Amino acid sequence: MNEVIKKLPIKIIIGALVLGFIAIFGTSHDEFLYQQPIFKVESVHNGNRMKSSDEFHNADYQINQKLNGTIMNGKLKGKHLTINNTFSHSGAMDREYHVHNEAFISYHQHGQSTIKDYKRDVPIVFLVWLSISLLVIFLRMSGVSALLSIIVNSFLFYDSVLINYQTQGDQVLFLFGTLAIIFSAITLWLILGFSRQMLTTLCSTIAGTLVSIVVSLIVFTFTHEHGMYYESMQYVTQLPKPLFLSETLIGSLGAVMDESTDIISSLFALKSERPQISRKQIFLSGRQIGASIMGPLVNVLFFIFMGSTLPLALLFLKNGNSIGYSFSMNMSLGIVQSLISGIGIVAAVPLASLFASLFIKGGAKK
Amino acid sequence: MSTITALGIILLLMMVAVGGKKGVQSFLSLLFNFGFLYFAIILMAYHLPPLPITLIVGIIILSLTIFLSGTDDNASQSAFISSLFVLILLIILIIPIENWVQVQGFGIEDSDDLEGMSLLIGIKFIKIAISTAILSTLGAIAEASMAIASGLNEIAEQHPAIKPRQLFIDGISVGKQIIGTTLNTLFFGLFGGSLSLFIWFAGLHYSFGNIINDKVFGAEFIIIMFSLIGVIITIPITSAVISRRFAKRKSKSQSKG
Repeated sequence: MNEVIKKLPIKIIIGALVLGFIAIFGTSHDEFLYQQPIFKVESVHNGNRMKSSDEFHNADYQINQKLNGTIMNGKLKGKHLTINNTFSHSGAMDREYHVHNEAFISYHQHGQSTIKDYKRDVPIVFLVWLSISLLVIFLRMSGVSALLSIIVNSFLFYDSVLINYQTQGDQVLFLFGTLAIIFSAITLWLILGFSRQMLTTLCSTIAGTLVSIVVSLIVFTFTHEHGMYYESMQYVTQLPKPLFLSETLIGSLGAVMDESTDIISSLFALKSERPQISRKQIFLSGRQIGASIMGPLVNVLFFIFMGSTLPLALLFLKNGNSIGYSFSMNMSLGIVQSLISGIGIVAAVPLASLFASLFIKGGAKK
Repeated sequence: MSTITALGIILLLMMVAVGGKKGVQSFLSLLFNFGFLYFAIILMAYHLPPLPITLIVGIIILSLTIFLSGTDDNASQSAFISSLFVLILLIILIIPIENWVQVQGFGIEDSDDLEGMSLLIGIKFIKIAISTAILSTLGAIAEASMAIASGLNEIAEQHPAIKPRQLFIDGISVGKQIIGTTLNTLFFGLFGGSLSLFIWFAGLHYSFGNIINDKVFGAEFIIIMFSLIGVIITIPITSAVISRRFAKRKSKSQSKG
């Protein structure tokens, strides 16, 4: 690790620390930016434990607490309040409040005000700051340009979500399909610059994603979507099937792009090192490179898609459901998404190799 | 036939067609990873302590992912050692942050799904949130450490006379090449995974302030941030591990010769 310490850029680190301090201090004092009243806890009195047990013999307990504190913003700024809060040992939807915690509340002039939710912008900003600082410290400009593509894509993504809302979700698959193409073009342009290599990678990304969606639609038709429980999809406010496909399409796009970029950039490098290499050899070495990275990539998406299903699966298990039912209701859609993405990632291997072998300039040099 | 089985068979066939034996191994690693992930949740449902289970299952998953898709034993070993260091550092980061950000359990947006269910199950959801965050980062750590390790291993084989210090610097430049696309893999994963949540936000006119304080969004977002931080620190750590192992091997072969 000595090398790491010696190479550390002192100026960037000091800059990052100063910015971090400003960001954290600012976010901790940003109550005036919010419309909802924010309540800061100044003292806490906890009541007795109330033991509980449900029909599945899960033993738990709850505690009532009286929170004294002040409203930090708006017209009611400076007003002292006492609010009751109940929290449980397991804390699935509640939490214990401590002194100095801040929370959004519903204020009632007559009668009890209630806690709505914990204020969590400070830790979120801290994590964003930490990631950006690490990116810039270790990777300098490459980190900055990677970040730029994320920021641009986030805005595009949110705009598309708004368009989807305005069109009532009628065209969701078309909308996000188009977005996928724009996403890929912008991202690859930012990473690779506008070049033959970038266009080749773009073709391979779009073709790979398209293959995965077409294959899955064919499979859905033949299996009549047996074992897919769209009713278990969360936060659904429109027709679930096209939404599910759009989620999968956007979710797997990055990985298909990742795979295509890796293969095609290695092949372009190979071609410039050994200009006399034949198209067939290019295709074969592309396949070899792709085969060794497809496994880890499929796993990256698998863990991202599956991770968030774990708490609800646990709740299902503890509510007396069988292992099979808990799986079907929580994880089957995540598995289908992982498999469809996997198909896209694997399809990108021959596609990227093929496009590279076709589009790389020139035949054998004299 | 169920859709999952059909898609699984197609993926297996495609992996074999593209990668042969390596394709079979990639498919197996996916299958095993799912098995261990679900097994971990079942053990937690039996009130076994979540963090130790996560640590053990995490190490198993890392070794399966790395050794089943590795081509070169030496590179795989380096990748595995580095990923363990990264895992430990991430756990040290994840535990206090999860306690600070408080996104365990479920949010108000989940209310419909939770109807009729008992939430008082006697298991601390903060521990489950910590486990979930750790497990979610494993794929990204494994992928990044493998990419750096195989890249550096190739350089070391082609230039056996290279200085360990130069190898470390090369590792960082391999990292610079992969970070852009890896970042995209993670964020598109986030966009895709939370598309319906964002449509919900748009429908109910959530403000920016509502979104960054939202529990469900926070839970998804910090997992991606942890994966991202994991990938970033994997780059120098893997480079350092490989340059050290390379230096050791070099001095050994010199003392022998």
